[in-house]
Amino acid sequence: MRSTTNTIWAVLGLALILVLPAFAGGQWVKIFTSTTTFALAAAGAGFLYTRLGMVSLVQVGLMGVGGWVTLRLNHAFNFPFEINLMVAGAVTMFLGNLIALPALRMRGLYLALITLMFAAGLDIVFTAKQFPNGAEGFWGVGTTFAADMRRPVVAQSDAAYLRYTMVWLVIGFVLIELHRRMAPGRAWALIRKSEAAALASGVNVTLYKTWAFGLSGLLAGLGGGLLAGSLGLLDSATFRASESVMLFALVIVGGARFWYGAVIAAVLFRVVPGLLNNWGVDADLSLVIFGAALLHAVMTAPDGLAGQINGAIRTLIPSRKSDNKGAKA
Amino acid sequence: MISIENLTVRFGGVVALDHIGAEFSANVSGLIGPNGAGKTTTMNVISGFLDAHNGHVIVEGTDLVKLAPHKRVQWGLRRSFQKEQIANDLTVRENLMAITDHLRGARVEKRADLERAAEFAGVTGILGKMGRDLNTFERRLTDVARCVIGHPKMIMFDEPAGGLTPEETERLGDLILGIHDLTGAKVLVIDHDVELIERICAETLVLDFGKRVAFGPTSEVLRDPAVQAAYLGIDVEEEHA
Repeated sequence: MRSTTNTIWAVLGLALILVLPAFAGGQWVKIFTSTTTFALAAAGAGFLYTRLGMVSLVQVGLMGVGGWVTLRLNHAFNFPFEINLMVAGAVTMFLGNLIALPALRMRGLYLALITLMFAAGLDIVFTAKQFPNGAEGFWGVGTTFAADMRRPVVAQSDAAYLRYTMVWLVIGFVLIELHRRMAPGRAWALIRKSEAAALASGVNVTLYKTWAFGLSGLLAGLGGGLLAGSLGLLDSATFRASESVMLFALVIVGGARFWYGAVIAAVLFRVVPGLLNNWGVDADLSLVIFGAALLHAVMTAPDGLAGQINGAIRTLIPSRKSDNKGAKA
Repeated sequence: MISIENLTVRFGGVVALDHIGAEFSANVSGLIGPNGAGKTTTMNVISGFLDAHNGHVIVEGTDLVKLAPHKRVQWGLRRSFQKEQIANDLTVRENLMAITDHLRGARVEKRADLERAAEFAGVTGILGKMGRDLNTFERRLTDVARCVIGHPKMIMFDEPAGGLTPEETERLGDLILGIHDLTGAKVLVIDHDVELIERICAETLVLDFGKRVAFGPTSEVLRDPAVQAAYLGIDVEEEHA
């Protein structure tokens, strides 16, 4: 059962990577690309929430940092895109580690508030300093400048770049899944159960909490860097603290226990407003929809939409007894 | 030999443990006392969850109080909790691996060790079961397997028989008695079940209000008038008079 579902998902994912960029037209390629980058960040927030029970409300802010670093490096040096992206990921990973420091002392709501304050701080910096667009100086912001954003050699066109971003998303999911299956995943499960249990099992709680936040930060940074590569210019409005809160809420709606929950979250986050725009409806209506969806998730679907989809699949495909629980990745 | 020397813990003005000292030489020893006596506090200090204001816990020449909590586990300290701490989203095997992950040694050795511990505790058949699907007794057995894994030197059980039927308690008692032969570890058991303590513990320390009331061979300790007073609450007025 487990391997069958995984194969089905792998085939579906591969098909999507091949087909979606080829058929999505015009504006939609960009929307899907940004959806994919936000899915990376959502995956980070989701795994932090399900594996450790910790709430991070700074994911979109960290995406902003990743985007800033990528743009900064792009305009300052002649490195290939991948190098810039890696450095951006490393920077946000380090920031994630920094945010983990209060996490060692605080739990639940208080920790969430700390991360929110961090997001608000980033928000202010982004608004004040904007994003580099190729001008002189460290902040690199000029009014008339719009220097070129170099894209990866293999992904010059928008469609190819969407495909490229999707591959990164897959890498992100694989990274999370590998962690889950190995020592860190087990340590995190114990930490979530209780820190006393983790300590009594010899888990270095400090190390593994820092590690988790670092991984989550890395994914956000990669997402931000990829978004920068897609758009070439970034706007501080994209990375408001409220966006981080929204993304987290949608992670709950999407279903944080499942990897495709992150995809659903990102689709809601990016595609629904786009659709509403297309239909000539005010995109802010999406906030109402999200609010209702969140209530629905909290009241009736603790595992979110992904949990409901998983439940539906399990009723459709007769399972071979209890093994199907393993499919809940 | 587990040697507790002068162990003192304070919470603000409250003295939770007041200069406790005892030298356990038996393979399985007990720690009893009424509610609030400081039993779990003692265990938490030894685990490193609480800092001692004073005192030492010396086992095989190592002062545990000086080590970080996770280092104590690497050294060979294991414990169970009153409410068992089995991660629900891991299988029994993964719950056991969560301990060997942080120990030194080759992978093959760790696997063999895991199988041995599972076999001993009788959980080999449920290694693939998820934590959330276990019943109370299976959780307890998993706890025992977690405690005997990875060459432990000292194992503490905090009310292991809580919530178990008499038959299950008896089987658990047998398991605990077999631990020393399997691993060579010294075992310290906290429980309210005096019958269990009497059956499996050769030596027992009795605490009340953070103070040592009695220590020695279990049968003698249980006959001690001071212990009976602490447990049954008699003689209280005379003591205060």
